[in-house]
Amino acid sequence: MTVLAQLRFALAALAGHRARSLLMVLAMAIGVAAVVVLTALGEGARRYVVGEFASLGTNLVIVLPGRSETTGGPPPLTGLAPRDLTIADAQALLASPAITDVAPVVVGAAPVAAGGREREVLALGSTRSLLPVRHMTVAEGRFLPGGDPERGPPVAVLGATLRRELFGNRRAVGEQIRIGDRRFRVVGVLTDTGRSVGLDLNDLVVIPVAQAQALLNAPSLFRILAQARGPAAIAQAQDDIRATIRARHEGEDDVTVITQDSVMNTFDAILGTLTLVVGGIAAISLVVAGILVMNVMLVAVSHRTAEIGLLKAIGARPGVVLRLFLAEAALLSVLGAAGGLALGYGGVALIGALVPDFPVAAPAWAVAAALLVATGTGLLFGVWPARRAARLDPVQALARR
Amino acid sequence: MLLRDLYGMAAHSVASHPLRSLLTAGGIAVGIAAVTLLTTLGQGVQRYVLAEFTQFGTHLIAVNPGKTETVGMMGGILATVRPLTFADAEALARLPEVQAVVPGIYGNGRVSAGRRARSTYVNGVNHNMPEVWRFQVRAGRFLPPDDDAAARALAVLGSRLKTELFGAESALGRTIRVGERRFRVVGVMAPKGQVLGFDMDDAVYIPAAQALALFNREGLMEVDLLYRAGGDEARLVEAIKRTLTARHGREDFTIVTQNQMIDVLGRILGVLTFAVAALGGISLLVGAVGIVTIMSIAVGERVGEIGLLRALGATRGRVMALFLGEAVLLALGGALIGLAAGIGGARLIGALVPALPVRTPWGYALLALAVSMLIGLAAGVFPARRAARLDPVEALRAE
Amino acid sequence: MIALEGVGRTFTVGGSPVHALVDVALAVRAGDYLSIMGPSGSGKSTLLNVLGLLDRPNAGRYLLDGREVGTLNDTEQAAVRLHQFGFVFQFFHLVPRMTAAQNVGLPLTLAGVPAPQRQERVAQALAACGLADRAGHRPDQLSGGQRQRVAIARATIMNPQVILADEPTGNLDRASGEQVVGILEDLNRRGMTLIVVTHDPAVGERAQRRIHMDDGRISADHAR
Ligand SMILES: Nc1ncnc2c1ncn2[C@@H]1O[C@H](COP(=O)(O)OP(=O)(O)OP(=O)(O)O)[C@@H](O)[C@H]1O
Ligand SMILES: [Mg+2]
Repeated sequence: MTVLAQLRFALAALAGHRARSLLMVLAMAIGVAAVVVLTALGEGARRYVVGEFASLGTNLVIVLPGRSETTGGPPPLTGLAPRDLTIADAQALLASPAITDVAPVVVGAAPVAAGGREREVLALGSTRSLLPVRHMTVAEGRFLPGGDPERGPPVAVLGATLRRELFGNRRAVGEQIRIGDRRFRVVGVLTDTGRSVGLDLNDLVVIPVAQAQALLNAPSLFRILAQARGPAAIAQAQDDIRATIRARHEGEDDVTVITQDSVMNTFDAILGTLTLVVGGIAAISLVVAGILVMNVMLVAVSHRTAEIGLLKAIGARPGVVLRLFLAEAALLSVLGAAGGLALGYGGVALIGALVPDFPVAAPAWAVAAALLVATGTGLLFGVWPARRAARLDPVQALARR
Repeated sequence: MLLRDLYGMAAHSVASHPLRSLLTAGGIAVGIAAVTLLTTLGQGVQRYVLAEFTQFGTHLIAVNPGKTETVGMMGGILATVRPLTFADAEALARLPEVQAVVPGIYGNGRVSAGRRARSTYVNGVNHNMPEVWRFQVRAGRFLPPDDDAAARALAVLGSRLKTELFGAESALGRTIRVGERRFRVVGVMAPKGQVLGFDMDDAVYIPAAQALALFNREGLMEVDLLYRAGGDEARLVEAIKRTLTARHGREDFTIVTQNQMIDVLGRILGVLTFAVAALGGISLLVGAVGIVTIMSIAVGERVGEIGLLRALGATRGRVMALFLGEAVLLALGGALIGLAAGIGGARLIGALVPALPVRTPWGYALLALAVSMLIGLAAGVFPARRAARLDPVEALRAE
Repeated sequence: MIALEGVGRTFTVGGSPVHALVDVALAVRAGDYLSIMGPSGSGKSTLLNVLGLLDRPNAGRYLLDGREVGTLNDTEQAAVRLHQFGFVFQFFHLVPRMTAAQNVGLPLTLAGVPAPQRQERVAQALAACGLADRAGHRPDQLSGGQRQRVAIARATIMNPQVILADEPTGNLDRASGEQVVGILEDLNRRGMTLIVVTHDPAVGERAQRRIHMDDGRISADHAR
């Protein structure tokens, strides 16, 4: 019997029990589709977060005041340390050839008022360098002016939301606003960025760092964002920063230096693992589908005892009978896997259409694994019934009704 | 027909195909086992995290400077134009039902004693801290009840920091430096271990006023209040809001009660547990498809029997009930096997990871049984209706 | 007791009608012994199914003890079948996974008779059919004749008024056939109405009243 003939035989047998075959295909398809959709969601979450991090800036090295020697613990988030991290410290980092740009940052909460409207927002003190380092863009007017960061004119750049809340449709650039008890002139408005991890860039006001320090009474910087020359320069930049700060802080190592990459990699790893786990849980259903295939094939063997007896009586070798039943199981799983793929990709496309910002995409490894597991379990669970069929004694098989 | 006989008959036909029934139930069993295991672990994690929180007590209220809408979770970390002060903390301490108040400011600094030094967490608090946070002093005593705004330069060491700086020697009465300032050690805390990643033992506790000076900062990061057990939390929150609004002229602070935190956390973790359980539920769905398949096959095999039952005077409803009963039995049997496996698996993990408080969720177990019964019913409806709708004459001729 | 008036039953096969029963009128008194004979396809089984309320006529009336039963709903007809009719089929129709006793007890189970009473009555019925020692056997462990006797025990367990037998000896050798017919006639002597469809003239001739069917009509009705 040729392989093609065997397949045709199996297909005919399956078509003879259409409802039952469809149900088994459905079971397989649910499992495969579940794996595809769930891993696609996990992968989407991973890509989303990685993308968000990338949008925060590239090759960033972040300097926080304070340090903790507890290994594995969180970094000193509060940013309070006996020795201030100063604007001069930040400027000194520019001496390193590995660092192309530096943005000192002071952050605080402050009420912003204009024309009778008031809103409590984040006040971000920084320099002109913040724009390229944090990958921000300006929609109206211009960003903070350059010049000596230790001084800075009372000018402000508004986030998109804050601009809307304070000025509505009116012109904002050139207007006066109050931040706390100080007066500022609006010179620009940031581009609407949508949501982002960390700070909401739409509901804040950016002012020169020296102005922010005075306003918030914050002698120390909250962070320094330094941009390394390239991915290869990040390690060098970290070393240079530590050395520079140590020299400026009387030999003390009292800052924490973290890289954007390390934070991103941590998230990447966590979400990658999550995707794997979620896919694995979904794959359990494939095993259940495999058990179902085995069960139904066993039933089929006992129903078709006479048929098997006849096949053997007219000279089919046990190997042929075995392959006939295996072909049936394989056909079921392949059809199920194909149906599941269609269902899964349909689901992924639907999610993609409903939530366009979310980059859902089934990872190739998950799809391959789902297909492999589906056909694998189908075949594996088909072996027992097929062997049962192959071992039937033709005389007894024919004798039974 | 007696219900007992109905189930007897259903059970009898289920038992007459032991392998087939076992495999069918096995599909449901795998699903239920997955759901049970996952929810048990999920609840274990939930319990673990909540225990981490409740160890500080539940009669706690934290006040941070700044409004939540603006600064989100960053609370007191950011600088603000309107800081919380010692005077604010004192005003809060005078409210009725308030038992103790801790002004807080937290940072990092270098702590040295002799030639040994360590960069560690520096926590500015006051004498009420052990009572409010439920911390224990191992040696000496905690900070004395000085005036908050003018407290003396005394320090209490976390147990890990003490070992790092002094080894086995006594630290009491010794002088340490935190930043450029000198402090006299008056006590050492009992070990507390890690809480949500923070090593509570690698820290030094100094008076908040000293910490403010050390960090060159004006305002407090947080004021923690402990109120009397049985106190009315909602009323107290209102009172805090009124007091501070009156003092600041506006609502420029955020109040978070420990109960709210625990609530929110519990809800998030509950949703996660549910989501994970739903994932396991996919297997249950596939198992249900298995029941539909096998019951359809059974109806096909037993057409003659169905015709006979009808000829003998069984109504359509009775035939339907019989096949539904079989489907439910298959599902329930699977659920029992799955529960046993799931609970066993969870216990095993619990034994391997002692930190995880794994407890059998009997509520969930009952729910799983109820759900599997519903699954059996739902999966059985299609084949059972086919059986019930068979024309008796046709059915009898089929054989 | 039974009265059919103008009963017709038409099947539609592939769009064209097949008249299985045409204007059948039949009256049967309690305790009668009827045989129905006729060529294959003449409507014998259809008539028996209509009599046993397994099938609904398209036309005519069916009175059972003066009560119109042709128009009863499914549930009511099921109750009538359970309590007033006993069926015996050519192919026995025993549930293969049940023992002889369980098969015989099936109508009692359906009627909601509690297990202890059931056992007693099943034992009696089996003994009456000479199967007292086969109670625990499953159908595949019994001979054809024994299987049909189990079926008869099942048909009589509810003490029905009427036994309807469709070719009860059709699958049996002569000796087993004789035995089965003997048991049925015994029941008739004790007052049960007996209606037997058969192709075997030797069996048919034994009835007091012999009905002959042709093309869905009753073509002859002899009484002795
Ligand atoms: N369910 C059905 N669908 C279509 N036609 C049917 C059906 N049942 C019976 N018939 C037709 O009705 C006619 C009478 O059938 P019935 O089974 O009553 O014959 P019978 O006399 O019992 O024959 P036999 O002696 O072969 O058993 C036949 O022509 C048959 O083909
Ligand atoms: Mg017939």
